[in-house]
This record gives sequence, C-alpha cells and structure tokens, in this order.
Amino acid sequence: MKLSIDPLDEHCSLLTRRHFFGRNARGLGIAALAGLLNKDLAASETPAKISHGALPGLPHFAPKAKRVIYLFQSGGPSQMELFDYKPRLVEFQGKDLPESIRMGQRLTGMSASQSSFPVVPSKFAFDRHGSSGAWVSELLPYTAKISDQLTFIKSMHTDAINHDPAVTFLQTGAQIAGRPSMGAWVSYGIGSETEDLPNFVVMISPGSGTGGQPLYDRLWGSGFLPSRYQGVKFRSVGDPVLFLSNPKGFTSDDRRRYLDTLGQLNQIELDDVADPEISTRIAQYEMAYRMQTSVPELTDLSKEPQSVLDLYGPDVKKPGTFAANCLLARRLAERGTRFIQLYHRDWDHHGKLPQDLPKRCRETDQAAAALVTDLKQRGMLDDTLVIWGGEFGRTVYCQGRLTETEYGRDHHPRCFTVWLAGGGVKPGVTMGETDDYGYNVTKDPVDVHDLQATILHCLGIDHTRLTYKFQGRHFRLTDVAGNVVKPLLT
Amino acid sequence: MRLFPVAVVAFLPAMWGATETVEFNRDIRPIFSDKCFACHGPDAGNRKTKMRLDQESGAKIALSGGRNTLVSGDPEHSEIFRRITSESKTLRMPPAYLGREKLTDPEIDLVRRWIAQGATWQKHWSLIPPVRPAVPDIKAREWPRNPIDNFVASKLEREGLVPAAEAGKATLLRRVTLDLTGLPPSPADVDAFLNDNSANVYEKAVDRLLASPEHAERMAFRWMEAARYADTNGYQSDGNRDMWRWRDWVIDAYRRNMPFNQFTIEQLAGDLLPNPTLDQRIATAFNRNHRTSAEGGIVPEEFRVEYVADRTETTSNVWLGLTLGCARCHDHKYDPLLQKDFYRMFAFFNNVPEKGLVYNWGNEEPYIKAPTPAQQQTLKKWDDKIAASESRWNALAPKVSKDQLKWEKKMAKSRAADWTLTDGLVFRQAGVGEKITGCGEKGVEKPGEHCSLPTADAPIGAARAFDGKQFIEAGPDIANFEYLDPFTFAAWVKPDSAKGAILSHSEEYFEGTGHGLYVIDGKLRLHIVFRWTDIGLRVETAAPLKLHEWQHVLVTYDGKRKASGVTMYVDGKPREMKILFDDLNWPMKSKVPFRIGAGGGLRFSGEIGDVRVYNFALSPEQAAIIPLRQSIHEIAAIPFSDRTPAQLDKLRLAFLAKASPKNVRAAQQELAGLREGREGYYKTIPTVMVMVESEKPRDAFILRRGAYDNHGEKVVAGVPGVLPPMKPEWPNNRLGLARWLVDRGNPLTARVTINRFWQMYFGTGLVKTVEDFGSQGEWPGHQDLLDWLAVEFMDSGWDVRALQKKIVMSATYRQSSRTTPDLLQRDPENRLLARGPRLRLGPEMVRDQALAVSGLLVEKVGGPSVKPYQPAGLWQELAGGKGYEPDKGEGLYRRSIYSFWKRTSPPPFMVNFDSPNRETCTVRETRTDTPLQALDLMNDESFLEAARRLGERVIKDGGASPEARIDYAYRLMLARAPKASEKQIMLQALDSFDARYKADPKSATEFLSYGSSARDANLNTADLAAYTAVASLLLNLDETVTKQ
Repeated sequence: MKLSIDPLDEHCSLLTRRHFFGRNARGLGIAALAGLLNKDLAASETPAKISHGALPGLPHFAPKAKRVIYLFQSGGPSQMELFDYKPRLVEFQGKDLPESIRMGQRLTGMSASQSSFPVVPSKFAFDRHGSSGAWVSELLPYTAKISDQLTFIKSMHTDAINHDPAVTFLQTGAQIAGRPSMGAWVSYGIGSETEDLPNFVVMISPGSGTGGQPLYDRLWGSGFLPSRYQGVKFRSVGDPVLFLSNPKGFTSDDRRRYLDTLGQLNQIELDDVADPEISTRIAQYEMAYRMQTSVPELTDLSKEPQSVLDLYGPDVKKPGTFAANCLLARRLAERGTRFIQLYHRDWDHHGKLPQDLPKRCRETDQAAAALVTDLKQRGMLDDTLVIWGGEFGRTVYCQGRLTETEYGRDHHPRCFTVWLAGGGVKPGVTMGETDDYGYNVTKDPVDVHDLQATILHCLGIDHTRLTYKFQGRHFRLTDVAGNVVKPLLT
Repeated sequence: MRLFPVAVVAFLPAMWGATETVEFNRDIRPIFSDKCFACHGPDAGNRKTKMRLDQESGAKIALSGGRNTLVSGDPEHSEIFRRITSESKTLRMPPAYLGREKLTDPEIDLVRRWIAQGATWQKHWSLIPPVRPAVPDIKAREWPRNPIDNFVASKLEREGLVPAAEAGKATLLRRVTLDLTGLPPSPADVDAFLNDNSANVYEKAVDRLLASPEHAERMAFRWMEAARYADTNGYQSDGNRDMWRWRDWVIDAYRRNMPFNQFTIEQLAGDLLPNPTLDQRIATAFNRNHRTSAEGGIVPEEFRVEYVADRTETTSNVWLGLTLGCARCHDHKYDPLLQKDFYRMFAFFNNVPEKGLVYNWGNEEPYIKAPTPAQQQTLKKWDDKIAASESRWNALAPKVSKDQLKWEKKMAKSRAADWTLTDGLVFRQAGVGEKITGCGEKGVEKPGEHCSLPTADAPIGAARAFDGKQFIEAGPDIANFEYLDPFTFAAWVKPDSAKGAILSHSEEYFEGTGHGLYVIDGKLRLHIVFRWTDIGLRVETAAPLKLHEWQHVLVTYDGKRKASGVTMYVDGKPREMKILFDDLNWPMKSKVPFRIGAGGGLRFSGEIGDVRVYNFALSPEQAAIIPLRQSIHEIAAIPFSDRTPAQLDKLRLAFLAKASPKNVRAAQQELAGLREGREGYYKTIPTVMVMVESEKPRDAFILRRGAYDNHGEKVVAGVPGVLPPMKPEWPNNRLGLARWLVDRGNPLTARVTINRFWQMYFGTGLVKTVEDFGSQGEWPGHQDLLDWLAVEFMDSGWDVRALQKKIVMSATYRQSSRTTPDLLQRDPENRLLARGPRLRLGPEMVRDQALAVSGLLVEKVGGPSVKPYQPAGLWQELAGGKGYEPDKGEGLYRRSIYSFWKRTSPPPFMVNFDSPNRETCTVRETRTDTPLQALDLMNDESFLEAARRLGERVIKDGGASPEARIDYAYRLMLARAPKASEKQIMLQALDSFDARYKADPKSATEFLSYGSSARDANLNTADLAAYTAVASLLLNLDETVTKQ
C-alpha cells in the first residue's frame, strides 16, 4: 500500500491499477496526468520515484534483505545478565568500580551522586551454546537454542544516557526530535512490496509489571519526510488500524455502494476543475477499502496451524503480547510489509532486577526465537533481517540498595549487546568484546550510526546516499557518521 | 537522472533562455550552495582549500602553475569550469568520493555563461533590505484590483499566460470565509452575499470576516504551530503543562489587530518592557513553549542548553527565516553564519532562571499566576470581602482585649488542664492518634502490646528513652505525607549521639524513599526523598543541637516542593538553615510505618518526648508556643509586661480557641473562612510559564561541537554579523533583539512574515522554502512582489489585518481555480498564479467545518484545552496510566485550536491530516492524501456524529422533499446548489440506503448510535440513517475537504 499523494508515485500506481481508475479517467488522459504529475521533481528537493514508491537508483546495490523486523526491547535490557558473560566479576563483587575502568565518564543523575559504586555480578548462570559456542544466560533458553542462527554484537555503544534521547537516537539517528525514523527512511528509499497493507508497521507490547518506560509517536514518525512515510501503529485494542472498521449497522456492501457513489461525485468535480488531486483522492478511498479487507485477514490467526502457535508459546493467543506481535510480524513480512517494528516495554531495571528481569525474558524469549525459526522454516530468513536490542546497556555497578537478593543497575551507554539474524548477516558470529567489568568496549566498537548503516546496507542502501533536503541541508539517517560493519556481512 | 524534462516548471533557472543574462543570485548561487558550499563555503572548519565560492574574493584566486580559479569572461581558462566538466574521477567536482553527482548539463551551461558574461557576484538577495519596487505597467490594465495584480500580471505576460476569470461568487465566498475564519459560510451568509449586488459586496464580506473572533482563532492556530505550542512537556513521561493563557493572549492580539512589531516585542521581551502588564508577561510564554524533560536521571545542564537552543532556533526561524540551528555545532555550511553567531543569539535566551530537569505534573519555574479577566474580577471580590471582614475584626479588637483580660484573671487562679494547639494535630506521643503497633529492636515484635521502652521525663508530655537499637512503630497511615502535603513535625529531644533518627516515614536505609527528621553530624536534618541521588529535598540547621540536653525541635514544610518552604525551629526560634538538596518533583508512594527513634537505617540514642505531627505548616507564632513549658495558668499569673511574645501569643490563641464570646468567634471564623476561600480559589487560577531575566546573567560560551559541557570562547549576546547591527540606544538583551527584528533596517523579518501569510492563502510561499531564506532556500520567482508586500507591511505600521485584506482583495486571489491540462502542464504547482488556489483544507478546518455544518460547533473563544473524541487506549499503549478521557458535553464540540495536544501522542485525526507534531517550530504547510485519511473521515466517531446531526438538520430544515433536502445539504456543505447530475446520484444513494435501512431497522439504530449528543426521537430511524449516510458522503467529498 502506498500512503501517498506523491504525484509521480501516484501516477505509476494508477498505470498499474487501471481496473478501478479506468472508468474515472475520462476528464484527463493518463498521458496528461503523466506530464503534470511530476511537479515536485522539478523542485528537485527529492529525487523522482518509480513504481512501488522506490527512489530511482534504489536499491543502490543488490540487497540481501528485503525487509526488517526490529524487536526493540525498550528500557535497556541488561547485557550483564543476558549475553555479556563476565566471570571475573565474582572476584570484584561488592568492591567499588575502579576509576581506571570508569575513567570519569558521565553517569545519569540517578546514580552519579551515589556514595559508592559496588560491582555486582550476574545472579544468573551463563553457558556456551551451539556450535558457535555463544554465551547466553539461563534466562534466555530459547534464544540460546537458536544461537547458531544469530549474530551477536557485544560492542554496541551509544551517546545518550537517558531513555528518551537514547531511543530517539536509535530509531532516528539523532537524540533530538524532528528526524525521520528508520522505518520511514526505508519506506521512502525503497518503497513498498504491498499495495494493501501499510509499509511500515509498529506494534507495542507492555511488560507485565509497571508497563515500563513510555514510548512516543515520534519514534515511528516521518520527521521532515512527507507524513505518508510514518509508521502505522497496529493496535491490539479496538481497530488494528485506527478507524479501519465501518461503523455498526454499515456493512462492507454498504461501504462499496457508498464508495461507488463517492467516486461518481468526485469524478464530476474532476471533470469540472481538472485538478489531479481529485484522482488521487479517489484512489486513496479505494485503497482504504482494500485495507478494510486485507488487515482483518492479516490479523486473523485462525488458519495458523497449532504447531506454529505452539512454537511462539501460549501468549501468542493473547492479542497485544510480544508473542502475538511476533507472529503478526511474520504474517506482515509474508505480505510484503517492509519495516516491522516491535516494541516490548519495561526493561528498565534500576532496582529489583533479579525479580523483574526474568519476567521480561519469559515474555519475549520464546517468541523471539520462534520468529527466527518460523522465518527459517519458510525460507524467509534469508531475505528478512531480524534485530533484537534496546537503547543502551546497564551498569556493572549496583544502583540503589545492594543486598543478598536484590540489586539494580543504572543506564549504561558505554556497551550493550544486540543480536541480528537473517538477511545479509553471518550466523553464529559474536562480534566485539568488553573489558572484564563489562564496562568499556575493548574490541570492534559499533556505534548507533554503524548499526543503522549496516541495516540499510543489508537492504541494498548506501546510507551516505539516501538523503532528503530539508532546511537547506541534505539529511540522512546516519547524520554525518556511520560505517557499515563489514565483518558481520555475508 | 530525471524521468521527465523540467522545461515546464516555473522557477528553475534552466528555463531562462540562452540569451538572457545569467544572474548570480538567481542562477548560480543555488548551484554553488547546494553542490559546493559544504567544502568551499562559509564553514572554515570544513573548508578544504583557500578557495571559497560564497565570496568573490575567495573565489577569484591564483593557483599554482599560473592557473586561476575564475577568469572573468573566459570559462575555458577557469579552473572551476575545468573541474566541474572534467571526466576524470580524481579531478571532477563535486567529487565522486563524497557520493556527489556531477552537475547537470543545464547547470554547467549556466556556469559557463555566467563566467563568460563576467562572473559577477551579488550579495545574497534576502540580506539586502527590501526597497519598494515600482509597480509594473502591464497590458491588461483593467485586470488589477491592487498592485499585487500588477506584479503577477507582469510575470504572466512575460510568460505568455493570462489570468483566469474571477471565481463564481459563491465559490469565492466559501474560499475567503474558509481562508479568513477557518469555517464555512452559513447558507444565510451565502444568500445575503448572492443577493447583494452592490459593487463592494465582496469587500464588505471581507471586512466582516476580518473583524470576527473566528478570524483571530484562525490566525492564532498557525502561529501556535510555529510556536510549538502544546499541553504537555514532550519528552519521555510527557507530563501536562498549562500554557493556554498564552493561546488566549495570541487570539486576543489578533482580535485587536495588534501590529506585528508590537506582537513581536511583547512575545520576545514583554517582561523587559517598563512596568510590564500581566498580558505583556503572558506574551513571553512564546519562548517557554518548547519541549522540556522530566526524565529522571538526565544531566540537567544538557537539557537546559537544549531549551535555550530551541528558543534560539525557533526565534531565528520564525522571524528571520534562517536555519541558524545549522551553526550550532560548526559554522553554517551554506549561509554566512558563524558558530559564534549562533551562541551570541543563544546568549539572549540563556538567562532564564530555569532548570533542565523540569516538574512532570505542571508548570516549571519561572511561571506566573495568569488570571483571566473574569478571574481578576472574582479575585477582587474576594479581596474586598476579606478587607471588609478584617475591618470588622479590627473593630472588635478593643472588646476582645477586654474580654481576654477578664478571662486571664480567671485563668491565673484556675488549675484546669493546659491548652495546646490541637487543630490539625494528627499524632501526639502518648496522646492524640497514637496507635502503637510495636516497639523494640524490630518494631513489630510485640504487636498490640503496650510499649516497653523506659519512660523518661520530658519538659512537656510523655517521653521514652532510646538505646540506639529499639524504636517505636506506629501504623503506616500516620504521617504518610505526599510531597505536595504540608506538615509539621515536632518533638523534645535529648540526644546522646550526633547521629540518629528522631522520627520517620521512610525506608530502612539511609538513601531510602520517604521523609524523616534526623540528627546528622549533630545537626537537625529533614529529608523528603523520592530518589536520593536526584529527586528530593534535604535541609539541615547550620548549628548543631546540644548533646545530652533537652531541646525542642520543630520543622514545617509548606507542601510546595521547595526548600524555601521549610522552616526549622529549635526551642521555638527559627534557625539558620543549610540547603543540601532542593529538587523535589515526584510522588513518594511510601508504604512503610511511622516510627519514632528510627528511620533511614538509623536509630536514636537518648530521649524523645512529646512527638507531634500536624497536617499543616505551623506559623512562626504557633511554632513558638509549642515548646513553651508554662501552662496558660502560669502565664496568666505573670504580669503583662513580663510576658514574652510567645507567652502572649499562647494566651491569645488559647483565649480565642476556648473562651472568646460568640460574636468574636463568628468574626474570627468568618475571616478565616474567607481567607481559606480565597486561597482555594487562587489555587484554581491558571499559571503560565514565562520568560524572566536572572539578576545575574549566565555566562554564555561557544559550545564546541554543540556539546553542552564543552565550553569554548566566552561570548556576549549579539546578532549575526552578516546582518545590520543593533542600534546603540537599544538594550543588549531580548528587548533590544526584538526591536532589532522589527526595525526597518532588518532585511528579513517583514519578508519572512508576509511570505508565511501568503502561504496561508496560496499553499506555497512566494519563497517556497518559508523556513529558509538562505542560500539553500528557493530564490523567489516574484521577488518584486515579495519586496513590495514587505515594504507595504512595514509602511502600514505592521498592520496584519490590512495585509490579509490586501491579499484577499487582489484579483490574483479571486481567480477561479479551474484549470486545464495545458496550464497544469505548464505550471503544475501554480507558482505563476494564472489561476486561483485549490488546496485541501488544513486538519483543523476539516474538523471544524464538519462541526459547523452539523450544528454541533460550540463557538466560545479562549479558555483551557478540551478533549474531543479519540479512540480509547492510545495513551495507555505508549505509557500506561489512566489514559485519555474525552470530555462530556461542549468540550467535544469546540474548535480544534482548543483540542488538547499531547506531544508524544497527538490527536490522531490531526496527525492523519498532516498537522505538524508541535515538537519543534514548524512553519511549512504540507499536504498529503492517504487511505488513513479516508478511513478517518468515514469511520471516526466525530465524523459519524457530525453526519448524523447533519442528516437531522437536513431533514428538519431542508424542506419536505428529498430534492429540496439534497439542495439544502449542498448549500450547507458547499455553499452551492448541486448540479443536476450530482443531485441524481445523491437521490439514488438516498433511495438505496433508505430501502436498506427500512428493511433492517436494527442496523439503522446501530448506525445512528455514534456520538454523545442526543438523537431526535421524532425522526424516523430508517429515514435518518439514510440521510446520515448521505451526509457522510457529503463530508467525504473532495470538494468538501478542499478550498477551491
């Protein structure tokens, strides 16, 4: 589907979809439309587009991945308890984090004025898994089982130290609001493979605890890109897409009749005033009608075999859970949605980490692994890039009260772990290392722009050449930075 | 490569014929700017060589080997030309290694001809102050209605085009009514207009519309977008704020047609005007509308700098049309703006006494109470009543004294119980409210039993001895004060150790959540803590308490979350305090018991007696009488002249509480009641965050790479060097800056402002890049018109309304928007203005129009934001919590300017229809067309209710026949009668829905169930359902959502 008034884009889709436009094309020949609809091209603010809304020349090279599923774990999952195994921490337990490790780096206002920074090792056990021998903790047994499919980056680091700027940075390439989100950039750059569903879909699941840190619409916003590139939120309550359902007492047949009437009336106006915007509007109403069928078909899980449901775990039947969203993500991927962004909230464990972290893991572990397995079984993992990770890591030192059973960890931007799987990345690889404290990256650092550049690269996009001119400047997702992490690529 | 040739487009330089003179500003600067300036432009930090193309002197330099960058008249010997045409990958500019494409052939041709014609430079056009251009003479002399048309026609004639005919009368009235008020004309307006044949009928309509309050609302809405107005803070937890009094101010300013220069000065610097009025201070909220963060753990300075930068960028963008923000981290890459220029502007906005970490539950300082005019009246009534009551009270004074004297004599002989202050006393050791749940080393070891701690002799009341291990525990409900609750803690203490807990309602470790009264380093200490490291309030006495001696300690907190609201008394006297931490902004939600002799992991060694907790902050007089050891009987026996002030106070308070005659008590209660009433009312008065200048300005620095903590050179406030300087007689502060912005010599403000106005009518500015008048901005195709309007605007005394009138009175504006394939081919965006504007309405107009035609609209100007319908759950799924609760009643039907705007989850309808997100300043209008908009207009409760009400209206007021009703519906919606073909189609639709709903009444009832307004029970259900469907069709017509 294209959410579009872009003239050329629209023109091309009209050419391919004469079935519902043909009868309305009396007033203005298609050829005439072709000529007049290219108005924005000349202003040269944005390059021209070809069919399915991709920019000309894009992809820049053959893509390995056609789509992205980003399993964002909001709040900052602790790498210390999940992936970044640090056996020597037992030796350092309770001792103050040495200045030689901290090196005066800034801390958040929540722990900066703590009187001490006692090191606390993970309460949870680690083991090596698969033929790649990846370290994964006991909290993620399902992830551990598929670790040979995954690429771990243990050397991620970010500039931001608080949630809002950090999540905004990961999703838009800048800490301050106003830039387009990654999904919007991708939609803008390489367009869509579906005409009946949104090209960039967002799904949110809360943690079962407090729900977690808030999210913000800007994280899937289009920034200065036209608003048609913004993510469409699929909801578990009410209509999956806002205002999708016809009102009660108004059937799909009623809507069809209604739209036929509306189309005739708008056509009369088009004949009179010759404004091509009217054709666009007619087309958008028809697309809305198609969405009314395609979205319910998408969210109807009744035809999924029990074996698939079992794979994702019992939560899969509860709308709005991470498991249900993972399965919907696969269904969207099958139907051509380009960028599928999940958020699972409530990973912000400043305190009571030993109690709360396992809950988040239980809510996500099985379904995330199932998604990778399911995609692989269907032969889709090769051209789908799956990413799992949060906005930053957590400190090796304890925040707040340290007791035998209880501790917390503050935000830690200096290192954290993400994993990737599928289209374009090498499976069974672990990249990057951190010091014995899990505090600083010691080998192969990857920053946020690097990750973004790499994701775009897998999609066949040169991140330096996907730009949009706004306020006189050629903006890009990776700002003025970012290097593709080549060793990860297949 | 472009798919289509660009020959049809109006303002691309390549269009100008080969013989025409190449003009640097029009033709060459855009190429150099976009393709070359990044490395050969104003940014010294990024300049690769000496050569820079933004200045003539920097561009014409000699190179080694006798070559020259530019040889006037000789492209072939100009190195620049050689480089841009080179086929060599290493030589060619812009370089391939930066991912840049070669210049296009037309661009290269332009550069060649420009060099051949002498390679002359021009200063950037927008930096040269506008002078009034001569109004061009044109052939079509009968066409112009004002000089705007001469400029437009002159260009059209050069292009070989003719203007369109004037739009039909009704079309024109709908267009101008929507443009000037954001609402459609009523059928009565249309009829009156059509029936009036006077020559100035249009002008009369324009004057009427311009004078309406709806016009002020329409103008205010766009200004709110530029001013990034919202009802929430915007970052992370996105708490609410109250800025609507500023919105009221803006509407009022437009209603009064405040000149734009005054409008500017009051909003940027109203507080710095001599004796500023309340309104002038409210105006300055403009620069407090930016987003703020209440996210725990942020580095406050990082965000404070962000707020100042936002003000700097917004102000530069709105008034100067400059992207000064691009110079925040380095010199500007395209415009002659240095990084230092950014930080000199920054310095103007850097002196607000503000915090980086703001309050999440309301306005952050500095803010002011901003009563509305009606509230000011009510306040005055309260004050008058209080004054009258006070004078009645004062008149009673002699009698009160006499009565008290009599009472004192009686008291001196009496042996009755002493009096003490019991109002608001919620806990007293061994007295009121004492519910001991346990005591001992673990507090709860002997629940229900009487406390076994040894008793001690306190100066007053009961006391216990504490051994540094044991403590007394009471229930968790006692003293469970939230951070906004005032309270008083008092006790007699005899400490044996310099560290201990007197009383607490706090977690059992030193940095835990809760509040408590402690002895730390011998000093009396109050803690109110949410999170030790960053959210809480901690104060202590400057001097230590005495060990091993009884002293009375008393601490009051006024519930206003500031250390300044804490007073600490020792032995009845307020003591000097040291503020240790002063950032209390979050609820505590503490579920621990109240304890004496324990808290924060500490215990008490020594004795504690007469612990008291009051649920309000005692006054100094009250605080002084608590520790008095003498009973009222003993004081009464002391000769009057020997009594201390505290003794006198105690007697007076006891007398008034216990023994005063009825009329005295009544007068006293009346006054107290009035004062309380006024206080209660005062609390309901809105506040608004405003600009305030610190007494001592903050130092400002260049921030290297824009980083908040990377101070470079210190700078003083000032305007960008490339623009005219400020006059010496102006103060070098925001007021001077504001005067400079609206000074006649400023080349930008008037142009930028009228360009934004132009965009409101034609959808596109005369300079399309309304936010960028710099090198990368669009060169104006009608610069003469832009300059003429700018000068006219200034000459008129910045008369905003006169300028709107000028635009809508022009023949240019009044043209029909009908077009032809030929004209579309020639000028698809209507930049030449050979036809009238035809544009989709802004989101607020789409909704307001639906409310208006359905008769639901509640027209009430100003006031707090309202909450119209919104699908349930949108706020919760992002952030949990209570979520959005739509209003009941009129809040559902107010104009969209008043809709509550939550930045992290804006109203979905507004976002669907391309509303700016209000996170940062937005001045460019954008329009898209998406299926989500279609779904919204068809299925959103707001529009379903509007359709139902429109259906009712059509049935009731539209006549008896379906034909008449369809006619009426069209006139309501589109200000015109339906064409025969349209009527035919509508009647068919009506028939078919009518048949369908007659056959299925249940569906009809369901279809009519939307919206909370009542349904007219007298109307036939199937009938109404059919008309509702037709009304919905009307609301969804392209023409409906379009101004044409």
